[in-house]
Order: sequence, then structure tokens, then C-alpha cells
Amino acid sequence: MLKIKDLKAGTENAKILEGVNLEVNAGEIHAIMGPNGSGKSTLSAVIAGNEYFEVESGTLEFDDINLLDLDPEERAHKGIFLSFQYPVEIPGISVSNFIKTSINEGRKARGLDPIPATELLKMMQGKMDLLRMKKGYLSRNMNEGFSGGEKKRNEIFQMAMLEPKLSILDETDSGLDIDALRVVANGVNKLRTKDNATIVITHYQRLLDYIVPDFVHVLYDGRIIRSGGKELAKELEKKGYDWLKKAACK
Amino acid sequence: MSLIEKIKSYSKGASVSSDKKAELNSFLKEGFPTIKDEEWKYSSLKKIISENYSINAIGRNITEAEISNHSLGFNDKIVFVDGVLILNPTIKNVTISNYSEFKSREKDSISKLNYSLAKSGYTIAISDNSIVEDPIEILFFNTIERGFTQYRNIVKIGKNSEAKFIEKIQNINCDVSFVNHFTKIYCAKNSKIEYNKIQNNTSKSRLIDSMDVFQKQDSVCSINTLVFGGEFIRNNLNFEQNGTNAESNMNGVSVLNNSQLADNHTFVDHRSANCRSNEMYKGVYLDNAKGVFNGKIMVRKDSQKIDAFQANNNLLLSENAIINSKPQLEIYADDVKCSHGCTIGQLDENAIFYMRSRGVGSKEANAILTYAFASEAINNITIDAVALLAKNLLAKKLNVDLDVSL
Repeated sequence: MLKIKDLKAGTENAKILEGVNLEVNAGEIHAIMGPNGSGKSTLSAVIAGNEYFEVESGTLEFDDINLLDLDPEERAHKGIFLSFQYPVEIPGISVSNFIKTSINEGRKARGLDPIPATELLKMMQGKMDLLRMKKGYLSRNMNEGFSGGEKKRNEIFQMAMLEPKLSILDETDSGLDIDALRVVANGVNKLRTKDNATIVITHYQRLLDYIVPDFVHVLYDGRIIRSGGKELAKELEKKGYDWLKKAACK
Repeated sequence: MSLIEKIKSYSKGASVSSDKKAELNSFLKEGFPTIKDEEWKYSSLKKIISENYSINAIGRNITEAEISNHSLGFNDKIVFVDGVLILNPTIKNVTISNYSEFKSREKDSISKLNYSLAKSGYTIAISDNSIVEDPIEILFFNTIERGFTQYRNIVKIGKNSEAKFIEKIQNINCDVSFVNHFTKIYCAKNSKIEYNKIQNNTSKSRLIDSMDVFQKQDSVCSINTLVFGGEFIRNNLNFEQNGTNAESNMNGVSVLNNSQLADNHTFVDHRSANCRSNEMYKGVYLDNAKGVFNGKIMVRKDSQKIDAFQANNNLLLSENAIINSKPQLEIYADDVKCSHGCTIGQLDENAIFYMRSRGVGSKEANAILTYAFASEAINNITIDAVALLAKNLLAKKLNVDLDVSL
């Protein structure tokens, strides 16, 4: 599904990704871990198409399409979803309106008519139940005045509504208490099918107790320095990153 | 022939009454304001008044279809054509009459000109103790090519009464027009009025719109000004509070493109204690558009416990767009609360990427954020059809097909 080969990217002033290789197939969950500043969020931003970052070299393919040719919205239409580490507040637009717009823009791109209002509301209700969200929340302004946990839940709610093929969860666990974490993780697990895939970016092993990855990768200094199964996360929890950093230096 | 020349020769005509002649001469002595005048520093009339207009031509009748084409669809419609009342509907508790007592003694040259050239003036009065449930639509049509037309009206809201209005100025053809629109609103004790001004005229229309509001005790007056269409628009919105516990609300949304100019001058004169004013003006400027905002708040010496708020926020969506914003607070009382804020900025790149990553195209994302920016002022409009119109006009200006209602 997703094929990243020797991807180098950064900003005008700094090189951040220095040759990332990663392959994600349908049905898989990948965890990307690593210390602060290792390039985890940059990798997710580059996959989603944030123009703030420049891709210097390497390839980025999704279902055999070159993603680098596509705008962020076109990538979203192809089925890529990024759950933001810091979701943006948009005063003046309600959650329901925002979701309606993103669904309909996606449908427009696929040549479909807008979703009928009743169908949309029913779908929203179902997904809100899944994430144990209160109803009044739909009419609130997008992320405005939301707590950290509410913002993250709102991200997963949008993911549930947009039904992407590839979801990238960037630090979705930060700001969540343990109950919220369980609800969110449960939501992610329920949305999992054999046709979609998830990349979980996290600092902490804790989330991976609930969303169990098939693969764990350690990103350090812009490169994946170690890949393994879910037991690698446990090892990192115990030993930290230093032993890997040292190994990477050699 | 320039407009001034035209007015000069008209003033010598035999049909002009001596009263109006005197006023015209007074105007001619002063002339139109120029950019040397502080209040007109950023809005030059020079080019506009150098052109030729007809000042006393007779327009044509308009058809019912033309009326309904431009109407927002409200049942109660008052229709003026070229400044003259042509449709005077029967509305309970509302009387519309021709007035003669509305004489001159205007303070500025534009108003003097309005008085002396106006063919007629009308009073729309709401009787005391009555609540007019349905909004009243006031349509002003222009049919005269290159007409320099005067509208001159009074709106009176009786004691303990309530009414809502929507006013729209519309050219029937696409030719140049220049309208000098003058309205006085009298709010009696404990009255409540919402007056919506829709300024979305054709691309060669020019407008000077002066509105003086006089408020008595416990009255609430809200004026919403939506500026979308027209080449040159100057609004002078003045409030005078004469009575305690009066409230003046102003909301403005200007969305301009091409080389449009909109100048919103507002003035609140707090002449009594314990009164409030709230002002929220939002401006969005594209292409080579130019905006001016001047918000003056005067708190007189004995007007204690005034609570005045003013905000002017502007979005510049092009390198060449310009906004000149000037808050002007003159406070002579010592126990008041006055706050004001003025911002000029661009859209948030992070927010745009956030929306694009959810599948919303960049043009649409820009439009949604711009709508969100303006919505703070739009949401203060209580008539749904007007708020919806504002949203639709905004989407049209930004060239997107977007449904922002749910």
C-alpha cells in the first residue's frame, strides 16, 4: 500500500529525514517510535503532503501512485488520513459542518453526489457512539476550546467518518488520560479491516498495549535504525533509546 | 460636464425653490470633500465627480418581475425607484408618508446636496407599542443611466416598539450610477430595531450612504452593513445616544475584490450615562481592493458607566490589497469601560493544511477560513435569510461552490 524508499526531506534550513525506507501493507499496523526531534512528525507531514517540508530525493508511493505529484487534498481523496499531533482550532465552523464539507469534497473528487443529510447524521451518530462522544459536540466550533483529549477524540472521529485506507496517528496518545486512551484505541481497533492500514507514531509504549502493532520501527536522526515486532516496543520501554543510538553510530 | 458644473447650472434653474437654492449655494461654496479633508483622506471622490451625470432625469417604471428578481423574498416590500416611492404596502402598525418638515440645516456638504437635490422624502413610522413580526424589505432601484440620485428617508420607531428592516440598493442596468443615500433613524424610548444594509450593487455603482441614528432611553439599535458589490462605497454611520441605558450595535462585513473601495466611517456619540455600544467590523480584501475603517467613539464628560467595545479585523488576501484602519476614541468621562482592537493579517497556513489533509481543496479551505473569520459579525444578524445571503455572497466572491449551512 505505502512504499517509501530512501526518502530525504527537510525544511529550507534543516535536513530532517535522511533516507527513510518503509513499506506498509493492507491490514497491518506499524508503530514508529523514537526520541524527540528524530523526524517522526516530519515523516507523517511529508506523507500527508505538507508543503512546509521539501522532499529532496527518494520515492513515496501509495497504491503504486507517486504521492509526490499530489496535493494534500488529492492524497486525502486517495485514502490517506493524518491525525494531527496538534489539531488546529477553526472558530466559526462547527464540527458537523467541517465533516460534512470534507466528506462531500472527497465525494466530489470521486464523482459522487453530496451525502444525503439523514445518512450523514446517522453515520455521525454511530461513530460518536463508538467513541463515546456527547451529542452537543457536533455543534461546537472545530477544536475551539476543546481539551487536549477532546481534540484527539475529534481527530479519530473524523478518521472514522472519512474511512481512510491509511491512517497515520501522530502522537494521538499525548494528552489522553487512560480512559480516553482506551476509548480511542478501541475505536481504532474497531475501524480496522483487512483492507486498511495504520501507522501509529508515539513516544510511549503504553498506547501499544491497546493498539497492538505488527511492526515497530525506531526512527532516529532521520533514519529508521531498527525494526522489529511488538516486543521491540517493550524492550524500548525498558532500556530507552540510548543502546540503539550507540549501535546506530557505529 | 463635471458634476459640479452640472449642479451649478441646475442651481440657476427657475424650478428650484429659494430654500433649496440657498442650500445648493452653500454646498457649492464648500464643494465635495477632498483627500485633504481628514475624514476623506483615503477615499478620493476626484475621479467620480469629474464625470458627467444626470441629476434630474426621469427614470422608467420597473416591472414586478424586476422587483421579485432582486427581492430577498420577504412579504412586506417598500419599493423606491430613483428615490421615489412606488410601492407602499399595507403593513400593520406601519405608516409611510411623504414628509415636508424634513428641512435642511445639514452639517456637511454631502447632506446639503442631498436635501437640495432630493425629489422627495419619506417617513416610515412604526406606531407606539407595536411589534412588527416580519422583517420589512426596503428596495431602492436605480433606472437612470449615469444618474446622480438622492434618497432621503426617515425611519421612526415608536415607544416600546420593535421592527426589523432589510435595505438593498439595486441598479437595473449595468451603467454608472452615483447614489447619495441619506437616512435618519429615530428610536423612541424602549424601542428595538435591527436594520440590515445590503450593499451588493453592480460593478460601476458609486454610493455615499449616510445614516444618522438618534436613540432615546432604553432603546436598542443594531445596524448591520454588508458590503459586497460596487465600485466605490462610503458609509457614514452615526449614532447619537440621548437617554440612559441605550444600546448601539454595529456589525460590518466587507468583502471586496478587483479595484473596489469601501470606506466605513462610524461614530458613536455617548451623550448619556449607562449606555453601551458594540462594534464588530470584518474586512476581507482581494486583488486590488481597498478598505478604510474609521471608528470614532466619543464619551461625553458626564456620560459615566459607558461600556463601549470596538473591533475591526481585516484579512488581506492579496499582495496589492490595502486597508487603512483607524480607531478613534475620545473619552471625557472617568468611569467608563472602552476597549478596542484592530487587526490586519492573513489566513493561518496550518489551518489550511489541516483542512486540505481532510480532503478540502485549497481554494475551498481558504473560503471556509474566510467565512469563519467573517462569521463573528454575520452571526449577529438575526434574520436567517440575510445571514445566509451574506454567506452565499462570500462564497461567490471567493469563487467557490460551498454549502456552509447545516
